[in-house]
Amino acid sequence: MKLDWWVVWQHRDALVEGTLVTVALTMVTMLIAVPGGIMLAVMRLGRSRPLALASASFVEFFRNLPLILVVYWAYYVMPILLGVQLDAFTTGLAALALNVSAYNAETFRAGIASVRKGQTEAALALGMSRWQALREVVLPQAARRVLPVLASTWVSLFKDTSLVSVIAVGDLAYNAMRVRSQTFRVLEMLTAMAVIYWGLGYPQAKLVDWLHRRFGVRE
Amino acid sequence: MTRIPPTGSPAQAGPDLVLQYRGVRKVFGDFVALDGVSTQVRRGEVVCLIGPSGSGKSTLLRCTNGLEKPDGGEILFDGAPLPSDEAAMRPVRRRMGMVFQSFELFPHKTALENIAVGPRIVLGFEERKTRELGEALLAKVGLSDKAASYPANLSGGQQQRVAIARALAMEPEVMLFDEPTSALDPETIGEVLNVMKALAEEGMTMVVVTHEMSFARRVADRVVVFEKGRIIEEGPPEEIFERPKVDRTGEFLSHIGWSA
Repeated sequence: MKLDWWVVWQHRDALVEGTLVTVALTMVTMLIAVPGGIMLAVMRLGRSRPLALASASFVEFFRNLPLILVVYWAYYVMPILLGVQLDAFTTGLAALALNVSAYNAETFRAGIASVRKGQTEAALALGMSRWQALREVVLPQAARRVLPVLASTWVSLFKDTSLVSVIAVGDLAYNAMRVRSQTFRVLEMLTAMAVIYWGLGYPQAKLVDWLHRRFGVRE
Repeated sequence: MTRIPPTGSPAQAGPDLVLQYRGVRKVFGDFVALDGVSTQVRRGEVVCLIGPSGSGKSTLLRCTNGLEKPDGGEILFDGAPLPSDEAAMRPVRRRMGMVFQSFELFPHKTALENIAVGPRIVLGFEERKTRELGEALLAKVGLSDKAASYPANLSGGQQQRVAIARALAMEPEVMLFDEPTSALDPETIGEVLNVMKALAEEGMTMVVVTHEMSFARRVADRVVVFEKGRIIEEGPPEEIFERPKVDRTGEFLSHIGWSA
């Protein structure tokens, strides 16, 4: 078989553009899913039973569905539910954010629960409100403990964004596949895609390892 | 030099009962932690609560600042019953300092930040003012050189001294100590007790749950002996330690090795 690597260079614009979309999807998803996860975790651990139940239902729903199904679901169901047709990027983003928020909620819940009860009591004894104690004392400690887990989620998310290509979001996977079907250069395009994902993912994974060592188990 | 906040108010004319306990009850499941406890604390008084583990001393202290809610009876602070809801309890807690057995310093904050956080968050003091306050209080507990240290890098005794300074930063009217030296290595107990003794000499009102009998003997104005959720005897330390009226007090004291 004769390989033609020139095709990769010829379609560099599509690849670069797709890579930027993938990176943007990852970043914006996390920007939504970190506060989202904290909010869900606080609701779950709070004293209001309806809020706790709502949070638990949300988390269990999205955590136990395959992401690709949530992506399709967002594409077909959200327009009916919301009455607006969102563009593919926003739809894919919504699906990813729902899924990752659910995961982050469990991460933060574990992180918050791991902070000793005495820490909250010490804050309350100073006259802080429950909210002040959470913000000033509990969350900063929880955040340090969950940082390595969040970083792992980030790396998974970076690769999982490829699933939104099924609804024609122009991410790296989608663009590479499109070039493949136009040129029939299957091996070249898949290899190029692998090199880009790996080249960007590996440093992130190394960063996670470093975060584990730096913040992992320390008390 | 910064003004060190006044710790403890001078004895005032009129009603000077800071804390009054009237038939306080607290139950945890089947366990009766407090079975009708009545006593009081006067302004400027140092009261030590002693007795076997599980006899209710710590529970009474935790009920005092609302970390536990009594199931019966009432507690009056400065003449007014403690409010039952959390929000109304906050202004009361500001006026009480609490020191825990396990220190509970905030591990992500330096010694100075631990002291400054209460005034900054709760009282809304500005940064410069809280820093000066923190430095003055660190000097007071003999830890000026540890301002930038994190709790993990301090000894137990040093951590507990920072915790005392943190409580003092709120300028409390009464200090509650919950077994402040029980988690310490023997060689660092003395430095914490010295800080507490100095505080007592300044006239601070203090309620101290302790197993340090020599501290209670030397520093307390009054000693309250607990057993099974009840007060079995209370009085001046020389009476309690030398001529206890109740047999069980004598038995407890000899059991923990105290000899008059």
